[in-house]
Amino acid sequence: MRTKVGKVLAATYLGIVTIVSIFPFYMVVIMSTYYTNDLYKGLPILPSNYFLTNLQTVLDTNFIRVYANSLFVSITATTLSCLTSALIGFSLAKYQFKGRNVIYAFVLSTMMIPTQVSLIGYVLEMKSFGLINTLWPLILTFVATPFAAFFMTQFIKSAVPDEIIESARIDGCSEPEIFIKIIFPFIKPGTVTVAILVFLWSWNNYLLPLVSINDNSRYTIPLLISTLSSEFTTDFAAQMTAVGFAVIPIIILFAIGSKTFIEGLTAGAIKG
Amino acid sequence: MPVKLKISKKMWPFIFAAPFVISYILFNLYPVIYSFILSLNSWNGISEKEFVGFANYTKILTRDVLFRKAVFNTFMIMFIATPTAIFGGLTLAYFLFNMRKGKQFFQTINFFPYITTPVAIGFIFSYLFDYSGGYVNQLMTSLGLLNEKYYWLEHVWSARGIVMLMIIWRNLGYYMTIYLSGMTAIPSEVYEAARIDGASKIQIFSKVTVPLLENTTIFLALTSVIGGLQLFDEPYQLYTGWTAGYVNVGGPKYSVLTVIWKFYDDSFKSNSMLGYGAAVSFLLFLIIFAISLLQLKYISKKAR
Repeated sequence: MRTKVGKVLAATYLGIVTIVSIFPFYMVVIMSTYYTNDLYKGLPILPSNYFLTNLQTVLDTNFIRVYANSLFVSITATTLSCLTSALIGFSLAKYQFKGRNVIYAFVLSTMMIPTQVSLIGYVLEMKSFGLINTLWPLILTFVATPFAAFFMTQFIKSAVPDEIIESARIDGCSEPEIFIKIIFPFIKPGTVTVAILVFLWSWNNYLLPLVSINDNSRYTIPLLISTLSSEFTTDFAAQMTAVGFAVIPIIILFAIGSKTFIEGLTAGAIKG
Repeated sequence: MPVKLKISKKMWPFIFAAPFVISYILFNLYPVIYSFILSLNSWNGISEKEFVGFANYTKILTRDVLFRKAVFNTFMIMFIATPTAIFGGLTLAYFLFNMRKGKQFFQTINFFPYITTPVAIGFIFSYLFDYSGGYVNQLMTSLGLLNEKYYWLEHVWSARGIVMLMIIWRNLGYYMTIYLSGMTAIPSEVYEAARIDGASKIQIFSKVTVPLLENTTIFLALTSVIGGLQLFDEPYQLYTGWTAGYVNVGGPKYSVLTVIWKFYDDSFKSNSMLGYGAAVSFLLFLIIFAISLLQLKYISKKAR
């Protein structure tokens, strides 16, 4: 009897938390189907039929452009950061060389520096390169991601057996060939983890674009969301539609690959 | 005739490390040093720089009431939000751990907030708690929980409460998942032994599961405080998102001003005191560094 009560309580608790987790997303979706003036007539719980008009309002702005900007930034940043971190990871995990410990200590200490500390210097540097109001500052800042380098080093150390590298070397593989043919196939799971993290970090990045971009054709999603209230002043339904399109596709993508994604996102924490 | 570069075998590890090291120096380390030099100057970005030594730092620490306020706010908010999220995550994980079906389903749904763009979270919550049209006011007045609408965003403690809520909402599913994988790592014999010894479910939870997850808890608590110190997107959006009209720095009476918000405001927004702002960011770095050391010390103590 007692365990039954416990089970019901546990299920209720889990149920309530789950509803609270999902409710704001539900609300965004529902509100995007309303005519703004109808929003305040009561609590919007069930969908209405104004979605396409709201969508049209959103698409009439440079929304697609902003989306493309965000995708370009995140995909480029992710690719570059996966590459640099896999390379340095290979170097630190599988070679014994003079200076290895220095470089490894360097990587470890870079992890402790919060990005905000470099912000002012970085913005001024980008200004002197003439890159303000371009998407490049948002990409370059992720090329060397400390956590990615640390993670790949640990990963390659444990995932790639030394014997395989040795035998490839005996077979006459050059070092770059070893990286491409041997290391790369082995480290796919680790790369996925790094890719997911860097993609999310760059996709969600707000402070940097806020201070380095003011040309709205160069906006990224977070910047767009923050200016919605001036873009669509009183058209609240259109604002919600834009937020929905900024947030929901990522969530659907996440839900489809949730097993891999959750493993990736928690991998860093478990190691610690 | 193509020249074939002969690269000595010894060079390869350096060549592989180079792209990361060079880009780090170029796009991270150099800006950090540049910022540090600026923090020793008084500079508004336009006029001549004036070297002032550590004057910016002493001014922040001794005379800047808002800096102290920002640090206080952060710890105040995290002091409530972190234990709540940790307790919630732990208990949820425990319930989910004992569930046979639907684990993946609940994990996935409760993870949604964690991957959502923080700016969007701030935006959505600024709508939820909006005075006139906000869901919370509408719901509470129609249910009779409130006699009249409440200015959630304009009172010190309700503003802080909303920020806490945003943090808890965002992290709960993430903490749950971390705890869940921690629990999976505990060998089932441990539970078995406790059960044979006649321990009740609550005893097993409090005497076996919780102590064995201590490392996870400490990790989550420290990273959450570090994350809290870097909080900006959500509280800032809360006051610039939904209602475009009023933008006041730090919310009512600066109650949700965070260190990064202050840093942003000093360096780029209300003022352009770049040297002063840089000094604020370095002080933040020192606080975070101290917490990281605490973490390292704890981990190495455990390892011994």
